[in-house]
Amino acid sequence: MTIPTKQLSLTINDKAVGPIDVPETMMMQDFLYEYLNLTGSRMGCGQGICHACTVVLEKADGSLEEMRTCITGAHWFAGRKVRTVEGQAKRDANGAITELSPVQQAFIEHFSFQCGYCTPGFVTGATVLLDQLRRNPVKREALEQAISEALDRHICRCTGYVRYFEAVRDLALKTPGLVKA
Amino acid sequence: MSDVKTGLSRRGFLKAGAAGVAIKISLLSAPTQAELIETPPRPGADWLSGGKPKYRLDAIAKVTGGKTFTRDYRARDLEGWPKEQAHAFMLHATRVDRVFDGVDLSLLGDELKPDRLVLQEDLVADGVAMPAPWPGFYGDVFFVPKGQTARLLGQPVAMLIYHDFARYDAAKRKLRFNDKVVRYGAEGASTTPGPYGAARYVRIDGGNPDADDRYSALKDTTIRAGFKGIEPQWPAAGEGDAMARGMAAAAEIEREIATAGDDVLVLRRSYSTQSADASAMEADNGNVWYERGTGVLHALVATQSPHEVAELAAHMLAKSKFPLGSIDLRIGYTVGYGTKDHALFPFFCVLAGLYGEGRPVRLANDRYEQFQTALKRHAFQMEKVMVIDRKTGKFRAMTGRYQNDGGGRENFSVSVGTVGATAAQSIYYLPKSDFSAAILSSRAVDAGSMRGYGTLQTMAATEMMVDEAAEALGLDPMEFRRRNALKSGMKNSQGAIPSGALRHGEILAKAEKHPLWVNRQKRKAEFEANNPGKKYGVGYGHVHKDYGTGAEAALCALEFDASGRLKLSHVAHEIGTGATTSQAVMAAAILGKQPDETVFGKVRWPQMPLETTDEPYTLSQEEEDKRMANPRWTPSFTSPMSASNSVYYLGHATREAARALVELTVWPAARSLWSRGIGGGQMAPEAVRREDLRVVNGKVTAAAMQPLPFAEVAAEAHRLGLATGITVHSFNRWQWAEAEFELPGTGRRRFAIDALALKYGDGAPAERKALMTQGGWHFVERASVSYPPTQRNNAGVTYYAPMATLAELVVDTGTGEVSLLSHHSILECGNQIVPELVSGQIQGGLAMGIGHALKEYLPLYEDGPGDGTWNWNRYELPTSNDVAVWKQTAEVLPPLSDTDPPKGMAEVVMIAVVPAIVNGVAHAIGKRFYTLPLTPERIKEALA
Amino acid sequence: MARKLLLAALAVAVVGALGAGAVFLGLFERSVVAKEIEQPLSAEQMKTLAKRGAYVAVAADCYACHVVKGGAPWAGGLPFETPLGTIFSTNISPDKEHGIGNWTRAEFHRAVRDGVGKHGHLYPAMPYASYRKLTADDVDAVYAFLMSREPMKVANRANHMPFPLNIRQGLTFWNLVNLSSDTKTEVAGRSALWNRGRYLTDALAHCGECHTPRNLAMGMKESAYLQGSELEGVIAPDITKAGLTRMGFDPLVFASFMKSGISAQGAMTNQMFEVVHFSTQYFTAGDLAAMSAYLFDLDKLPESVTPPAPPKPVAVSAEVAASARASYIAVCASCHGIDGQGIPHVVVPLATNASLRLADARNLNKVILTGIPAQRFPGLERMQPMPGFAGQLSDQQVADLSNWLRASWGGQQPTVTAEEVKRLR
Repeated sequence: MTIPTKQLSLTINDKAVGPIDVPETMMMQDFLYEYLNLTGSRMGCGQGICHACTVVLEKADGSLEEMRTCITGAHWFAGRKVRTVEGQAKRDANGAITELSPVQQAFIEHFSFQCGYCTPGFVTGATVLLDQLRRNPVKREALEQAISEALDRHICRCTGYVRYFEAVRDLALKTPGLVKA
Repeated sequence: MSDVKTGLSRRGFLKAGAAGVAIKISLLSAPTQAELIETPPRPGADWLSGGKPKYRLDAIAKVTGGKTFTRDYRARDLEGWPKEQAHAFMLHATRVDRVFDGVDLSLLGDELKPDRLVLQEDLVADGVAMPAPWPGFYGDVFFVPKGQTARLLGQPVAMLIYHDFARYDAAKRKLRFNDKVVRYGAEGASTTPGPYGAARYVRIDGGNPDADDRYSALKDTTIRAGFKGIEPQWPAAGEGDAMARGMAAAAEIEREIATAGDDVLVLRRSYSTQSADASAMEADNGNVWYERGTGVLHALVATQSPHEVAELAAHMLAKSKFPLGSIDLRIGYTVGYGTKDHALFPFFCVLAGLYGEGRPVRLANDRYEQFQTALKRHAFQMEKVMVIDRKTGKFRAMTGRYQNDGGGRENFSVSVGTVGATAAQSIYYLPKSDFSAAILSSRAVDAGSMRGYGTLQTMAATEMMVDEAAEALGLDPMEFRRRNALKSGMKNSQGAIPSGALRHGEILAKAEKHPLWVNRQKRKAEFEANNPGKKYGVGYGHVHKDYGTGAEAALCALEFDASGRLKLSHVAHEIGTGATTSQAVMAAAILGKQPDETVFGKVRWPQMPLETTDEPYTLSQEEEDKRMANPRWTPSFTSPMSASNSVYYLGHATREAARALVELTVWPAARSLWSRGIGGGQMAPEAVRREDLRVVNGKVTAAAMQPLPFAEVAAEAHRLGLATGITVHSFNRWQWAEAEFELPGTGRRRFAIDALALKYGDGAPAERKALMTQGGWHFVERASVSYPPTQRNNAGVTYYAPMATLAELVVDTGTGEVSLLSHHSILECGNQIVPELVSGQIQGGLAMGIGHALKEYLPLYEDGPGDGTWNWNRYELPTSNDVAVWKQTAEVLPPLSDTDPPKGMAEVVMIAVVPAIVNGVAHAIGKRFYTLPLTPERIKEALA
Repeated sequence: MARKLLLAALAVAVVGALGAGAVFLGLFERSVVAKEIEQPLSAEQMKTLAKRGAYVAVAADCYACHVVKGGAPWAGGLPFETPLGTIFSTNISPDKEHGIGNWTRAEFHRAVRDGVGKHGHLYPAMPYASYRKLTADDVDAVYAFLMSREPMKVANRANHMPFPLNIRQGLTFWNLVNLSSDTKTEVAGRSALWNRGRYLTDALAHCGECHTPRNLAMGMKESAYLQGSELEGVIAPDITKAGLTRMGFDPLVFASFMKSGISAQGAMTNQMFEVVHFSTQYFTAGDLAAMSAYLFDLDKLPESVTPPAPPKPVAVSAEVAASARASYIAVCASCHGIDGQGIPHVVVPLATNASLRLADARNLNKVILTGIPAQRFPGLERMQPMPGFAGQLSDQQVADLSNWLRASWGGQQPTVTAEEVKRLR
């Protein structure tokens, strides 16, 4: 079997991964699923539409960006730092969860999701949004608009979005420094 | 989700399938549930505070990306499975006019050739049978046979199996969208099946709602018909049998309409609704390992009906060259909105496993394949007539002719069509009604069960027409509804009296007083003055939807050890609605103790040696009377996760089990503790009755008695050898089966269940323990049983949950776009078990309804989803910007009392918003619409 | 369509000639509006004309410029950014206060064909230089149609133009140079189809306003008629027979492209998306055929499609190819396909994409950097937004990708440089 491969090394959830031989044309999503057994970033449309598959790209300057793994080649991430939904909560040595991220905590307390298939994408999207608000706080009256603009591209079929959006708003309001007077 | 399975029997299959195969089904849980229990904040002792869950039982696993969905699992994650995972995909026919002439895989070269290619001819050679709940349900073939045309667009022609992912992925990307891969030969005869069925519900009341009906389905019969072409051939009217008399009643209604004078308004309208895709975000998928030697079929499949999958998988192999040892089916959390209930896809997964040459094979649709093959919502064509007395503003009669397109496999189409017809009356009392359904076939992708199940189409149309009728009568639409709304005790269009109180009056009163409604004219004037080119409207829709299937069966077990550690086992599993959470909450509410351990999706119940032929809809009364004499017989073993059935029907088993445990165990154990000491202890001075028993802050008390922690009660129960475990089986045919049981040491007790098993405490006498022969349980054969009469099947439905929605919207006369400014909904669902889950269902249902009214659309045929190029770019789903995410509100009527049962509401919540939007657009621009969805193009056309 | 350059030149013309009073007073202005137009139309005439007018107005694409996104129909307000200031399209709904409700038939004719409105000269952002060729019947039809619309109480926005450009009378100079009195489009000896096509192209659809480069006086440069121009940093391609053929069009494919906005050559973007969205998708089959026949200079359309030969691939260096291929797989291949074949009804192919065949790479580079917003095409075709890759690809990577794509599928020399890309960011 001689599908052309390339060696891939990157950082995922603070751990160095690779070098691994990965087919040149493989998408990041399939790499996460089939090579790393990280199946949290979900395949919804496979076409970059629904954003269920997104992960956080942790950039050199410390800022965060949301990336769609279903339409981005695995090798594009070579040498880059990625955080998947599995890496959002704090875990102990055995991988057992010790503390949820603020976004995750807000989502479960608001009963934000039902089937939960789109939840990893919303966790990623909301986490990136909060990071942006931390860098550029918005006025209180602009908060709802900011949330809508950041998360509208995320498709959810169960919840009607309300409990996700309210969870993000409540979290943004109670987190110091995200909203200007 | 089916309440009528027309004259179709499963006996044929049972003969074939009676291979005595052991079927084991369990919710895929090991890693997930372990995590759920271990993970802080613990859903342990403090998960419930004051009876309220802090979050969903499955919340932490889902929010942290844990493996929860079937789709998340690979062979390496499954205990006992080989580690290497094989992968498969299918090729599909995109035309039905020419015969299938094989597949051309030359594009793949030697490199990417599949390790195994499976064609229909292989299945024939190997004797693999078509699964069939009844003949023709899933069609006659899996794959298109060579030399024949496809039964339907998108039908698979071949399966390609790869032993590794890389080659699978590369090959699939090469072949997909390529129209040269599937080869077609000459034009060929159509192989699409004929129409699926026709049913008619005629009713003429006895002069007033309380009098006996002159004719109704419940009193007389549902009228059935065969077809000439696509025209149902109804029986001739006459004095003869029930069907003939029914047709005479229908003719009488026809005459009344034809000869109607000026004193009545006769309104005739045609409506049509689109085919739609549920777009469940987890696409159909499964992973199957057929273990050579042992013949064990290990399967992990995404389904809402695991019991059906296991049963029919056995049937598939029964006469094949593949020896079947046993079936080990596991299920993950899933989601389907009905489309994973009785779907064909799991059986393609079984095929993948059978031809995996001993390897676990994963078959998982991508989104294009999901559009191409997943069950669709039926497109409906509707011809409706309303006859209204102009003076009283009351209905004299309503008729409706409904056609739904089931596509190329029957599935539940007949049931969807008839449920649609029986729902067409919406919330109104009709002295005379005649609703018929003609369930047609076509080359379209097959349609089946989907949230709303026919009622979305017919009730929404009725609500649009009611709004137009009120206008034609010069009546306020709320007043018109109030005059006609069903009141408690009034009969539905099948002649059955709905369960309990009907509270439409309260809902109308609230809606009428809501600012959106009160100020709609004022706001319209203001808004339009300030926004040139924009038109403002407010619309109202008010519906009620049945829940359940008319044959709802469930099992639940509760048991505890001497330390009070409580375990809940249930057939229910998680499809997103929160069913698992609410079962645990219901048990805790009655026992005052939350389960320490939960097992869901459990379908193997050794303590319940029940026998069933699973013909709850078709068995004659005589036959059922004969069979129920067997104390182990039940009309149905268990139900799928569907039909909004979890909280009321599946919950009934939980509540009955918990109540029985209180009755048989908690009360006597507590009494024993309170009676300790001289002279009858603390209990002696008080007159303490059973009905005084209360559970407060997790402790058991009664009258003045010292509150006892559950652990103490449990220890005492074990010491006394009382029942410390109970398993119940429940059955409902629009009313509950009840049975009496002779209980050792307790005597005869009656419960609303039809089968019971007990476990006795450590201190129980040896002879009682000796009775626990069924997997450690004592199956108590019932002393007597009463099942609802089979005639009850004609009731159609008796359980309804009502929902009303006010939609405030704007029409952009330039672009034709309709956008919601806000909406308010009013729901009645008895006692809410978890209000957060109820409100989540409301919000989600509204979004799906908004999509149906404004956006979602699929062409049926060659340019439709069967062509394999559909995704969410063209099939537009509602996003947060479409649903007034920051502006919507909802309220739930307070329950009648704390004993008002919870009502299934997962479907009704999506329906009322559809007519509310269409009626709102009429208010905005003065145009009525009769075809969904209301796209910008349609609006612009109307405004041109 | 915006007219940035045109306004710039206009400035020159105005300032340069401000002295010449006679011209300034408009003494030399030649109206093409006939005397009998002063005669108002009867109610019945207005009624019957309005029906036809709906189509003429669509063919003339009036709406696209006289509405803002989410704004009131026909109420104008669309800004035209120019280096010298901003002007706004006006309310042409029949509102008496803000729109043209009080305009007479003749006043409307003069505005559309002479560029002189009821309240003075129009800026040539209004394509009256092209509309001048409209027949009086068609202008009447549009007038009747507009008068049948719902009046929109939306005030016109004041232009922000500095002195002396705010003196609209100054436009007499531009008009003097650029408005010809010959308004005939008919050419004897050519077929009715060809002539209808010419009328559509030159008068109604006013294609030349964007696709014909401007001369020094910033009129349309007749010598380079429809040979392509640049506006707002985007190339309006050469749509002569040669140009269309180079892009891979054949007369039949081009006609359907103007109707659907999508073909193997790609999907309409930028202002051409709006042209299809508001105008050409509603063209009759006859008018689509006519426009195509004229542009391909044919008296009748061929029976069947004969696609032009694909361009010959041009070689690129190994390192450019390597860099480009890696980028292509990373951010393009999952949608456009590893072989550039695209996905039917989802993503356009690149292997046959017209933008790869243009001599100028600007359009392609801009799209790679900034992407394309979601667009709803006629029928059931929908394009999801194409992401921009400014954040994912360096200038050099974009240049390499662009060169590789253009060379292998567009037959263009790999001339794009990183600096060029940098300037586009």
